[in-house]
Amino acid sequence: MGSILEVRDLRVAYGPRGRGAFRALDGVSFCLESEEVLGVLGESGSGKSTLATSILGLFRANTIVATGAVLFEGSDLLQAKPDELQRIRGKRISLIFQEPSMALHPTMRVGRQVQQVLAAHGMKGRSALNQKTREVLETVFMEETERIARSYPHQLSGGQRQRVLIAQAIACGPSLVIADEPTASLDPTTQMEILGVFRALRKRLGLGMIFITHNPALLAGMADRLLVLYAGRVAELGPAEEVLASPKHPYTRSLLESIPPLLDGPRDGNKKKLPSIPGDSRPSSLPGAGCPFEPRCPERMDICKTRDPQLVNVSQSHTVSCFRYENQ
Amino acid sequence: MRVKRAISGWLVLLVVLHATVIFAGFFSPYDPAEQDRKNPYLPPMRVHFVDARGRFHARPFVYSLRLHEGTFDQYEEDTSRPLPLKFLVRGASYHLLGLLPARLHLFGVQDERIYLLGSDSYGRDQLSRFLYGGQVSLLAGLLGAGVTLLVGLCVGAVAGYFGGWRDDLLMRLAELFLALPWLYLLFALRAFLPLAVSPLQAFYLIIAVLGAVGWARPARLVRGVVLSAKERDFVRAARGFGATDAYLLRRHILPEASSVLLTQAAILVPQFVLAEMTLSFLGLGVPEPVPSWGSLLSSLQQYSVLASYWWMYLPALIMLPFFLGYLGLGGELQQRREPYKIGKEPGGLR
Repeated sequence: MGSILEVRDLRVAYGPRGRGAFRALDGVSFCLESEEVLGVLGESGSGKSTLATSILGLFRANTIVATGAVLFEGSDLLQAKPDELQRIRGKRISLIFQEPSMALHPTMRVGRQVQQVLAAHGMKGRSALNQKTREVLETVFMEETERIARSYPHQLSGGQRQRVLIAQAIACGPSLVIADEPTASLDPTTQMEILGVFRALRKRLGLGMIFITHNPALLAGMADRLLVLYAGRVAELGPAEEVLASPKHPYTRSLLESIPPLLDGPRDGNKKKLPSIPGDSRPSSLPGAGCPFEPRCPERMDICKTRDPQLVNVSQSHTVSCFRYENQ
Repeated sequence: MRVKRAISGWLVLLVVLHATVIFAGFFSPYDPAEQDRKNPYLPPMRVHFVDARGRFHARPFVYSLRLHEGTFDQYEEDTSRPLPLKFLVRGASYHLLGLLPARLHLFGVQDERIYLLGSDSYGRDQLSRFLYGGQVSLLAGLLGAGVTLLVGLCVGAVAGYFGGWRDDLLMRLAELFLALPWLYLLFALRAFLPLAVSPLQAFYLIIAVLGAVGWARPARLVRGVVLSAKERDFVRAARGFGATDAYLLRRHILPEASSVLLTQAAILVPQFVLAEMTLSFLGLGVPEPVPSWGSLLSSLQQYSVLASYWWMYLPALIMLPFFLGYLGLGGELQQRREPYKIGKEPGGLR
């Protein structure tokens, strides 16, 4: 088990140059072993989507800096030439966008859209392409593959569109799939179905995955390790079960407390209000120095205001960026 | 559905009008250069069904014209000589679509000549000259618009898609061209070239100049469309799956510019026809004896013609449906592109 992806000190900023720039990713580092699923957890604006697109060098027009390194199979994708990146995107690393209704071309049949991915990576011959397209679609759809392949995106349900995106992503047999909130716009039943598709594919194809979400509940039983992002920084990184069972960072803890409890507990009449994290993480409410979570932190200390916390190991594979663990 | 039908209405009008120009040889009774020196500035002949004695004729006819006694430019109808209109007659030879030799004309009269739009100073038939002139003028307009849109599309796509210094350079250049007074540029260009150029050379020169001056506006429009299209999620997703720049431009981005281009084309064609007419009117266009709409009107530069021969205006009047057709089509295309902005159609956002 070697690592296939290593992200080192990745920094990405948007917006006007100089003081007004918004740092979406502020020194993110992590490693991904092959066939491992890394869950990335964070609220809106924490840099989840930026992380997903930056790994593939898909920067928005207003990106002003991107430093650090994204090492994939030994080469740095941030330094790669455009045509090298083009050969990697979709073939070695695939990205599943968050809105299945927006990520498909509205006036092209979905079968053809899957086929185009294969064609973009050098597959030739009409019959070979058709054959492979059918095979790929059959891995994500139980039935009606033919009808779905001939449909336009607007004729499909949200779950079906998401499956088409997954088919596109796995068409060329990548070793890494990045899924950016793949279930955000689906209803809970369909969410579970799509998660099932991911689990099955992972088992069958031995994919490495980065699974990005704001919903910790989706990651249980799915992710091997968990990365918690806050304001573009790594708050906590560790084995999924450990992080979910005994979160160390105050932010992770507050986040997990905000999930509605399961329904099988005793239901007494007086409803308890669900805890929430006070404040927000908008750029304007982030402190200029110190820990970015300090203004909202229930366990803040004096030192948090002045110094940046460093990542501390709490166990061999579990790191937290919080001063509470610094002296242990 | 209503919008679609309206478009086909304007289209039908344009197709019919253009057919008469394309098949000018068939619809016009004479060769446009054929002179009839005895009959200069003949007024249009009226088509009659009832003769001077009040008898009705099933076959329409015209009276030949003769000079009013004691004048040199007043004509009157010679009611003693009705000239019945003959349909599908054989006459002057021409090449249909420039290829097929033919002699068949839609109508004509025997022995005498018929002038439905009058004649010019050389006694050439104005109707024939209008139809043949339309070939030159409309082709110049269509080709000019085509060149303009092609250049505009390429420039706009490069500027919008690749951005950076290319965008800056191309857009500053476009602004420069927008600010140029094209007519004077044309004079200057024309001054460089030898005075006598062949009709074909003059034609290509006009198209080149029209295209060179006009690309800036469509380029800016296309750039705007490309800028918004390239940030769409499905375009980013396609890039994430390894699509190349060429593929993204061809399949994802430029199709969005097609409706803008169509609308622009419908607006640009009459503009370029008018530009060609301006040039020919000033004598810088296609030289005689090849007719064009501008040179048809250029005789109006003389005051005597302006004052005495009102029918020399008629070509300008007949051009109107052509221009209205294009502008109507452009309006409908615009409405189909942005139905809610105009707000007349059901389903609009209001």
